[in-house]
Amino acid sequence: MSKDPNSEIPKWKQDFPIEQKEATHVSRREFAKFLTLLSGALAVGNTAIVVKSLAFPEKPLEGEHAICMESEVREGDSFMFEIEGSKTIPYLLINLGNGEWRAFEQKCTHLSCAVKYRHDLGQIECPCHKGYFNPRTGDVIQGPPPRRLPQLEVVIREGQVFVKAQQS
Amino acid sequence: MSDFRQSQNEAHPNKTNTLMTGIIFLLILFVTIQIWFLFGTLNNALQENLNFAITTAVGSLVFAFASFWLMKYLPEPIKRKMKK
Ligand code: FES
Repeated sequence: MSKDPNSEIPKWKQDFPIEQKEATHVSRREFAKFLTLLSGALAVGNTAIVVKSLAFPEKPLEGEHAICMESEVREGDSFMFEIEGSKTIPYLLINLGNGEWRAFEQKCTHLSCAVKYRHDLGQIECPCHKGYFNPRTGDVIQGPPPRRLPQLEVVIREGQVFVKAQQS
Repeated sequence: MSDFRQSQNEAHPNKTNTLMTGIIFLLILFVTIQIWFLFGTLNNALQENLNFAITTAVGSLVFAFASFWLMKYLPEPIKRKMKK
């Protein structure tokens, strides 16, 4: 073996340093490379969201679904039900009184907690971070939720409650 | 024998340092903006807001390419010499 002091440490040896100081040392080059990879990963993630929503668009609810009898839900009460679709979504049926009925998705638009109807306040409340929604329109009244609650249309026929997708 | 590069490096030892700092600074900036984009997209695109998702995806890709392109200017590692 040549004893030339200027010869470099061979590549394979560079990764197995003898001194601990060198072993724990992450060079700034490596850090920069890591950041670049991270940047690439974030771009891929962002693109994946677009591809997913283009390839599998969410289908609106089809047809009417029978929920319960009108007499089962008293005025000021609410009734929870689920509709199976491509995924199962929990909904909340609300009897506002005076023959006014509403149905909303039960998942809070903030962090998906279950919302409940408070007749004493006349509002839909999310107990997690005190978000409040308008029980007629689903609009956000107060709190962190960024969007209104998705709504279904309620139809009452012969004492039975049906829901269907809202015509927009 | 010393070449131009070597004498430059010896005359201005801070140069690679500055370059490195600049690159890392830019990369952190890019990644931060990308995280911001991704966060916004996750929040928005859940609700039919496709335009926003497309715009941020394009922006994010541009930043990713920019960071890969920056790697071209990454200073060479300082070669460690064998000790005597
Ligand atoms: S989850 Fe409903 S307000 Fe935060």
